[in-house]
Amino acid sequence: MKNNIKVERAKKNWTQGDLAEKIGISRQSVNSIEIGKFIPSTVLALKMAKIFGASVESIFQLEKQD
Amino acid sequence: MEKIQKPKNNQIALYSILWSLLYATCMIVIKKFDPSKTLGIMISFIPAITFVLFINRFIKNINLMDEVERRIQLEAAVWAFSLGLLLLMTLGLLDLVVTLKKEYWGNISFIIPGFFVFYAIGIVISRRKYNQL
Repeated sequence: MKNNIKVERAKKNWTQGDLAEKIGISRQSVNSIEIGKFIPSTVLALKMAKIFGASVESIFQLEKQD
Repeated sequence: MEKIQKPKNNQIALYSILWSLLYATCMIVIKKFDPSKTLGIMISFIPAITFVLFINRFIKNINLMDEVERRIQLEAAVWAFSLGLLLLMTLGLLDLVVTLKKEYWGNISFIIPGFFVFYAIGIVISRRKYNQL
Protein backbone atom coordinates (compact mmCIF):
# COMPACT_ATOMS: atom_id res chain seq x y z
CA MET A 1 0.00 0.00 0.00
CA LYS A 2 1.32 3.43 -0.89
CA ASN A 3 0.34 6.74 0.62
CA ASN A 4 0.50 10.48 0.01
CA ILE A 5 1.00 11.55 3.60
CA LYS A 6 4.22 13.38 2.81
CA VAL A 7 2.55 15.32 0.00
CA GLU A 8 -0.46 16.17 2.14
CA ARG A 9 1.82 17.28 4.96
CA ALA A 10 3.79 19.46 2.60
CA LYS A 11 0.57 21.10 1.37
CA LYS A 12 -0.26 22.06 4.95
CA ASN A 13 3.36 22.82 5.79
CA TRP A 14 3.24 20.41 8.72
CA THR A 15 6.15 18.46 10.16
CA GLN A 16 5.74 14.81 11.15
CA GLY A 17 5.59 16.04 14.74
CA ASP A 18 2.72 18.41 13.91
CA LEU A 19 0.72 15.63 12.28
CA ALA A 20 1.51 13.24 15.12
CA GLU A 21 0.18 15.70 17.68
CA LYS A 22 -3.01 16.31 15.72
CA ILE A 23 -3.91 12.64 15.37
CA GLY A 24 -2.66 11.50 18.78
CA ILE A 25 0.27 9.25 17.87
CA SER A 26 4.04 9.58 18.20
CA ARG A 27 6.26 11.22 15.57
CA GLN A 28 8.09 7.93 15.08
CA SER A 29 4.77 6.23 14.33
CA VAL A 30 3.92 8.88 11.72
CA ASN A 31 7.30 8.17 10.15
CA SER A 32 6.66 4.38 10.10
CA ILE A 33 3.30 4.93 8.38
CA GLU A 34 4.61 7.57 5.97
CA ILE A 35 7.42 5.37 4.66
CA GLY A 36 5.05 2.41 4.34
CA LYS A 37 6.56 0.26 7.07
CA PHE A 38 3.26 0.13 8.97
CA ILE A 39 -0.27 -0.02 7.58
CA PRO A 40 -2.54 2.04 9.85
CA SER A 41 -5.91 0.88 11.13
CA THR A 42 -9.13 2.16 9.52
CA VAL A 43 -9.68 4.50 12.47
CA LEU A 44 -6.24 6.06 12.11
CA ALA A 45 -6.58 6.31 8.33
CA LEU A 46 -9.93 8.09 8.78
CA LYS A 47 -8.40 10.43 11.35
CA MET A 48 -5.64 11.32 8.90
CA ALA A 49 -8.12 11.89 6.10
CA LYS A 50 -10.21 14.13 8.33
CA ILE A 51 -7.26 16.19 9.49
CA PHE A 52 -6.05 16.63 5.88
CA GLY A 53 -9.58 17.39 4.66
CA ALA A 54 -9.27 14.65 2.05
CA SER A 55 -10.74 11.20 1.39
CA VAL A 56 -9.01 8.07 2.66
CA GLU A 57 -8.66 6.81 -0.92
CA SER A 58 -6.78 9.93 -1.94
CA ILE A 59 -4.24 9.37 0.86
CA PHE A 60 -3.92 5.58 0.77
CA GLN A 61 -3.89 3.57 -2.45
CA LEU A 62 -3.61 -0.16 -3.01
CA GLU A 63 -0.73 -1.41 -5.13
CA LYS A 64 -0.74 -4.33 -7.56
CA GLN A 65 0.69 -6.76 -5.03
CA ASP A 66 -1.95 -5.84 -2.36
CA MET B 1 -9.23 14.38 17.88
CA GLU B 2 -8.14 12.52 20.99
CA LYS B 3 -5.23 13.97 22.92
CA ILE B 4 -2.11 11.86 23.10
CA GLN B 5 -1.69 10.24 26.53
CA LYS B 6 1.92 9.57 27.31
CA PRO B 7 2.69 6.11 28.68
CA LYS B 8 3.88 6.24 32.31
CA ASN B 9 7.21 4.44 32.02
CA ASN B 10 8.42 5.65 35.44
CA GLN B 11 5.55 3.76 37.12
CA ILE B 12 6.47 0.58 35.27
CA ALA B 13 10.07 1.01 36.44
CA LEU B 14 8.87 1.54 40.02
CA TYR B 15 6.71 -1.61 40.01
CA SER B 16 9.43 -3.70 38.38
CA ILE B 17 11.94 -2.54 41.02
CA LEU B 18 9.41 -3.32 43.78
CA TRP B 19 8.85 -6.79 42.35
CA SER B 20 12.60 -7.47 41.99
CA LEU B 21 13.34 -6.25 45.52
CA LEU B 22 10.54 -8.32 47.04
CA TYR B 23 11.65 -11.35 45.05
CA ALA B 24 15.25 -10.96 46.24
CA THR B 25 14.10 -10.42 49.84
CA CYS B 26 11.96 -13.57 49.77
CA MET B 27 14.86 -15.55 48.33
CA ILE B 28 17.20 -14.33 51.06
CA VAL B 29 14.63 -15.08 53.79
CA ILE B 30 14.07 -18.62 52.48
CA LYS B 31 17.81 -19.33 52.11
CA LYS B 32 19.02 -17.72 55.35
CA PHE B 33 16.23 -18.48 57.81
CA ASP B 34 15.23 -21.90 56.51
CA PRO B 35 11.50 -21.55 57.31
CA SER B 36 9.11 -24.48 57.63
CA LYS B 37 7.81 -25.98 54.38
CA THR B 38 4.37 -24.36 54.74
CA LEU B 39 5.82 -20.93 55.57
CA GLY B 40 8.36 -21.30 52.73
CA ILE B 41 5.58 -22.01 50.24
CA MET B 42 3.63 -18.99 51.51
CA ILE B 43 6.71 -16.73 51.21
CA SER B 44 7.33 -18.02 47.66
CA PHE B 45 3.98 -16.62 46.56
CA ILE B 46 4.48 -13.13 48.07
CA PRO B 47 6.37 -11.68 45.02
CA ALA B 48 3.37 -12.70 42.89
CA ILE B 49 1.45 -9.76 44.42
CA THR B 50 3.92 -7.16 43.15
CA PHE B 51 4.24 -9.08 39.89
CA VAL B 52 0.48 -8.76 39.33
CA LEU B 53 0.74 -5.01 40.03
CA PHE B 54 3.65 -4.75 37.60
CA ILE B 55 1.83 -6.65 34.82
CA ASN B 56 -1.34 -4.64 35.46
CA ARG B 57 0.57 -1.36 35.06
CA PHE B 58 2.42 -2.72 32.01
CA ILE B 59 -0.84 -3.66 30.24
CA LYS B 60 -2.44 -0.31 31.17
CA ASN B 61 0.63 1.37 29.70
CA ILE B 62 0.27 -0.60 26.47
CA ASN B 63 -3.31 0.68 26.20
CA LEU B 64 -1.93 4.23 26.26
CA MET B 65 0.43 3.53 23.38
CA ASP B 66 -0.39 4.19 19.74
CA GLU B 67 -0.97 1.28 17.37
CA VAL B 68 2.59 1.15 16.01
CA GLU B 69 4.07 1.03 19.50
CA ARG B 70 1.53 -1.64 20.49
CA ARG B 71 2.62 -3.76 17.51
CA ILE B 72 6.26 -3.34 18.55
CA GLN B 73 5.47 -4.48 22.10
CA LEU B 74 3.45 -7.45 20.83
CA GLU B 75 6.23 -8.58 18.49
CA ALA B 76 8.82 -8.15 21.25
CA ALA B 77 6.71 -10.33 23.57
CA VAL B 78 6.40 -12.99 20.86
CA TRP B 79 10.18 -12.91 20.33
CA ALA B 80 10.81 -13.20 24.08
CA PHE B 81 8.36 -16.08 24.49
CA SER B 82 9.59 -17.97 21.43
CA LEU B 83 13.29 -17.57 22.19
CA GLY B 84 12.67 -18.46 25.86
CA LEU B 85 10.80 -21.58 24.83
CA LEU B 86 13.54 -22.48 22.36
CA LEU B 87 16.19 -22.05 25.07
CA LEU B 88 14.30 -24.21 27.58
CA MET B 89 13.54 -26.95 25.03
CA THR B 90 17.13 -27.01 23.77
CA LEU B 91 18.45 -27.20 27.33
CA GLY B 92 15.96 -30.00 28.00
CA LEU B 93 17.36 -32.00 25.10
CA LEU B 94 20.95 -31.19 26.02
CA ASP B 95 20.29 -32.36 29.57
CA LEU B 96 19.46 -35.79 28.18
CA VAL B 97 22.85 -35.98 26.48
CA VAL B 98 25.15 -34.19 28.93
CA THR B 99 24.30 -33.41 32.56
CA LEU B 100 24.06 -29.62 32.75
CA LYS B 101 25.91 -27.96 35.61
CA LYS B 102 23.52 -26.87 38.36
CA GLU B 103 25.49 -23.62 38.81
CA TYR B 104 24.91 -22.59 35.19
CA TRP B 105 22.48 -23.87 32.56
CA GLY B 106 20.91 -26.43 34.86
CA ASN B 107 19.83 -23.63 37.22
CA ILE B 108 16.52 -21.84 36.54
CA SER B 109 17.76 -18.56 38.13
CA PHE B 110 20.53 -18.52 35.51
CA ILE B 111 17.99 -18.86 32.70
CA ILE B 112 15.35 -16.31 33.85
CA PRO B 113 17.44 -13.19 32.98
CA GLY B 114 17.56 -14.60 29.47
CA PHE B 115 13.87 -13.81 29.06
CA PHE B 116 14.52 -10.11 29.72
CA VAL B 117 17.39 -10.20 27.23
CA PHE B 118 15.11 -11.88 24.66
CA TYR B 119 12.47 -9.18 25.23
CA ALA B 120 15.11 -6.49 24.65
CA ILE B 121 16.24 -8.32 21.48
CA GLY B 122 12.61 -8.43 20.34
CA ILE B 123 12.21 -4.68 20.92
CA VAL B 124 15.33 -3.95 18.85
CA ILE B 125 14.25 -6.26 15.98
CA SER B 126 10.74 -4.84 15.92
CA ARG B 127 11.87 -1.20 16.16
CA ARG B 128 14.25 -1.78 13.25
CA LYS B 129 11.41 -3.35 11.26
CA TYR B 130 9.26 -0.25 11.72
CA ASN B 131 12.18 2.11 11.22
CA GLN B 132 12.10 3.42 14.78
CA LEU B 133 15.77 2.90 15.61
